[in-house]
Amino acid sequence: MAMTTDRQRIQHLLRRAGFGYSPEELREYLALGVEGTVDRLLNPERVDDSASENAALALREKALQDRQVLLATWHTRLVLTKRPLLEKMTLFWHDHFANSIRKVNAPAFMLQQNETLRAGALGKFRDLLQAITRDPAMMVFLDNRDNVAKAPNENYARELFELFTLGQGVLYTEKDIKESARALTGWRVTAEKPTPDATFNVPTGVVFTPRNFDNGTKTIFGQSGRFGDEDVVRMVTARKECAELIGRKMWQFFAVKNPSADMLRRTTDAYFANDTSIREMLRVILLSPEMYSEEAYRWRISSPVEHVIQTVRTFGLTDRIQRVGRDTQVQGQALFDPPSVAGWDWGEAWINSNTALYRANFVNDVTRRGKPGTTATVDVAALLQANNATRTAEQAVDFALDLVVGGDVDAATRSTLIEHIGGSHYDFAQAARSGQLQGLLYLVLSMPLAQLV
Amino acid sequence: MAFEDDSFLTRPVDRRTFIKRGVAFVGATAFTPPAYLRAVFDEDSRPLSAPSVANFAASKKHVMVVLQLAGGNDGLNTVIPVGDRAYFDARPAIAQNPEASLPLGQGLALNPVMTGMKALYDRGQLGVVLGVGYPNPNRSHFRSMDIWHSASMDEQADTGWVGRLLDATKNEQSSLWRAANIGQSLPLSLESNESFVPSVGSVPEYVLQTDGGPQEGARRTQNFVQLHRAQADNLATQAAYGGQLAFLSRTGLEAYQSTVDLHAAVGAYTTSVTYPTTPLANAFKTAAQLITSNLSTGIVYITTGGFDTHSGQTNVQNGLLANVSNALLAFYEDLQAQGVADQVTTLAWSEFGRRVKENASRGTDHGTAGPMFVVGGGVRSGLHGEQPSMTNLDNGDLKFTTDFRSVYASVIAQRFGIDPKDVLGASYPTLPLYE
Repeated sequence: MAMTTDRQRIQHLLRRAGFGYSPEELREYLALGVEGTVDRLLNPERVDDSASENAALALREKALQDRQVLLATWHTRLVLTKRPLLEKMTLFWHDHFANSIRKVNAPAFMLQQNETLRAGALGKFRDLLQAITRDPAMMVFLDNRDNVAKAPNENYARELFELFTLGQGVLYTEKDIKESARALTGWRVTAEKPTPDATFNVPTGVVFTPRNFDNGTKTIFGQSGRFGDEDVVRMVTARKECAELIGRKMWQFFAVKNPSADMLRRTTDAYFANDTSIREMLRVILLSPEMYSEEAYRWRISSPVEHVIQTVRTFGLTDRIQRVGRDTQVQGQALFDPPSVAGWDWGEAWINSNTALYRANFVNDVTRRGKPGTTATVDVAALLQANNATRTAEQAVDFALDLVVGGDVDAATRSTLIEHIGGSHYDFAQAARSGQLQGLLYLVLSMPLAQLV
Repeated sequence: MAFEDDSFLTRPVDRRTFIKRGVAFVGATAFTPPAYLRAVFDEDSRPLSAPSVANFAASKKHVMVVLQLAGGNDGLNTVIPVGDRAYFDARPAIAQNPEASLPLGQGLALNPVMTGMKALYDRGQLGVVLGVGYPNPNRSHFRSMDIWHSASMDEQADTGWVGRLLDATKNEQSSLWRAANIGQSLPLSLESNESFVPSVGSVPEYVLQTDGGPQEGARRTQNFVQLHRAQADNLATQAAYGGQLAFLSRTGLEAYQSTVDLHAAVGAYTTSVTYPTTPLANAFKTAAQLITSNLSTGIVYITTGGFDTHSGQTNVQNGLLANVSNALLAFYEDLQAQGVADQVTTLAWSEFGRRVKENASRGTDHGTAGPMFVVGGGVRSGLHGEQPSMTNLDNGDLKFTTDFRSVYASVIAQRFGIDPKDVLGASYPTLPLYE
C-alpha cells in the first residue's frame, strides 16, 4: 500500500522507529506532522523520560545480581519510554553486538553493556565501537580478555571485521585478523560489577595492562605501526565498507529490504560528513521518500520483542511487564540471550508453526477477560467506550482495525469481524457480556497482517 | 540481524499446490475434522482417505534423526587419538586422560564421559566417520554451518539438504508431520521449496488456545482459521507485503492443523525408559513420541549448542558430550524396547572441528575436520573412513579425509532409496554405513 496520508506515514513511522502507538500517543504525534515526529524521535534528550528512567533505576541495584530483574529493567524501559527510537536503536545495537548472558554469566556486565549501547545508540559509530571494544561483557563474550601478547586470541578481531564493521571476507585477510588481534591485546576485566561512576567513555571493570600488550609493529590494511585498539577502531571505521554495512542494516531495519546503491551512498555520505554520526544516517533514512514508499510498507515480520512490546504499549498493559520475558522467549527472542554473535535471524525465520502458535496464544492471553482494575489484559469494552466506538458493530471493528493495522484490510476480513460481534444484531452490552468484544480484539491481533511492521 | 536473501515473493505460492496440501493434511490421519474445518479445508470435496501405505510407509521404515552440535565441537577431544604422541604434545593442558578414555580400536578412544555411546558402540549400534569436512574449509561458524546445512558452496543457497530430500520424496498424501523440528527455530537444513515442517518445543504447549468459553472459544478458533484462509487464498495480498502476508497466513493455517493432527496421534505413547532430565534428552523423547505415532514422521531435527570452547574447554565440553551420549543411549533403549531401533538412524554433525594446538586460555580455536556419528540398529558399527594425520597439517588444522556430502549421500541412497544427486546436486562416493 502506498502511504498517501500523514496519518498512514506516522503510523508506519511509529511501528518502525518505535513500538507502535496508543490512541493518545498517535494523537500527539499526528499534531507534530511527519517531520516534527522524526525530529522528536531523533532528539530523545529533549523529551522528558523521567517516569521510565526512575522505574528502571529503582530496579538497577537488584539487576546487577539477578538475571530476571535485569530483563525486567529493560522491559520496563521498552514499555514506559517516551523516547521510542532510542530504545529501538538500543535493540538494534544489541542485535548487532550480540552478546549472551549464557556465556557472560554476569548480569552486571550485561546491564552495563545495555547502558553503553543506549548511551551511544545515536552518537558516533566510532565512539560506540570503541566503547564496545572495551566493554566487559564483550571482552568476556568474545574472549578479548584472554588476548595477550604472548598468546593472541583472534576471536574478537575476527568478529569485529566479519560482523561488526566490514562483512565476511570484505577487504581483510587472515593476516589482518592476526595482526589486529595483536593490536587488541592488553585489556583485562577486573571488577565484577560497574562502579557508580562508570560512564560511556570510561567503562568500569576494565584495565589496561602494559605487560600483556604486544607493543610490536603490526601491519593492518597495508599500514604499519605500533597499533593499539584505538588504531584498529579508527582504521576500520574509516572504511567506506563499514559505513555501507551499517547503512544497509539500518535501511533494512527501518525501511526496505533491498536498499539501492544510491540509498547506501546517501547514508555513507551522511556518515562521513558528520564524523560517523548514527543520528545523521537515521535522519537520511527516516526523511527519505523510500521510507514511505509502497516497497517499505509492512514487508517486515515483527520480531517477538517488537510484537509483544507493541501490543503492551498500544493498550497500556503495564501490569504485564513481568511477563514480557516469558512472552518473548517462547516466541523466539529473549533479550540478553541472542542465539549467536551474529544476532537473531530476522524475517521469515521468526515464524514457524511453534512460534506462530505462541504468538497467537500470547494474544489470547492479553485478550482474556482480566480482573477488574488490573492492566495485564485489555478490557475491550472499556477501550471502545473511552474512544466513543460502541454504537455499531462497524464502528467497533473499524476502531480496532485502525489502532492495530491502520485500517488496512480487505472487505471480507472486515465483514468476518463484524459478524463475530453480532453483525446486524449487534448490541454493545450483549457483545461485551458474551466475550465477543474480547474475541474481536483476539482476532484482530492474531491475524497475519498484525504480525507485520 | 540477518534477513534471508530470498524473499517469499520470488517463490510465490501456487494456489493449487496449497489447496492440495490442505486437503492432503486433513486426510493424512484418522482424525475427522469438525464441520467448520471441513468447510474451510475441504473445498475440493475430495473424500478423506486413510494414509497411503505405498508412500510414507517406506520412510516409516527408515527414519532419520539429525543432531546438530552447534558451535564447532572439538573432535580431537571427542574421538581421541590416544595412540598418537602428537596429540599430547599439542595439548599439554587439555589432553584427555588416555587411561580413562573408552577404546574404539585403531589407537582411538571416546572421551571418558561418553559411556552411553560406548555402550551403543559395543552393542553394534554406533558408526564413527573419521575426519569429515570439505575442501577450502571456512572458519566462520555461520558460513560453515550454512555449507553443512545447504550441502552447497553457493552463498545464495536458500534450501537445506533435508528440505530438498523432503521435496524429492513428497506426494499429495504426505502427513504434515512427515518431518519435525524439535525446537524453536527452523534450521536451514529443513528449508525447502515445497514442504512444510512443523517446529515443536513442548508437545503439551503445542495447541491453539482460545478463551471465552465453549461457544465463543470455538467461534474464535473458527474465525482465526477463516481470516488466515482468506489471506492465503487472496492472490492480490500474496504479491503485496513482500510476500510475507501469504507466508504468515499459510504457516498459521498449517500450524493450527498440525496441532489437531499431533494431539490426535501422540496420546498413546508410553515408555519404560527413564530419560535424563536435560532439554536435549527431552527433545529425543519427543522424537520417540513422534516416530512411534501414526503421523508417519520420517525425519526429526534436533539442535544442541555450546560447543564453541575458546576458553576453559574441558569442563564445558565434557558436560555437553555427556548430555549427548546419555540422551542417545536413552533414545535407543526406548526405540529398542518399542521394537524400532533398527529403523532409526541418528546422524550427528558439527560445523567444524577445532585447531590441533590448544590456545593459552585452556581452550581451542576454530578448526576444520571432525568426526560424525551415525547411530542406529542397522548401522555398520565401527570406524569409517580415515583418521587425519596429526602432523601433516594445513596451517595448524587437520586435513579432511571424507567429504560430509559423502555421508549425506550414503544415508540418502541406503535409507531413502533415491539418487543422492537429486538432493545434493552432484554425485559423491558413498560409504558402507549400513549392514
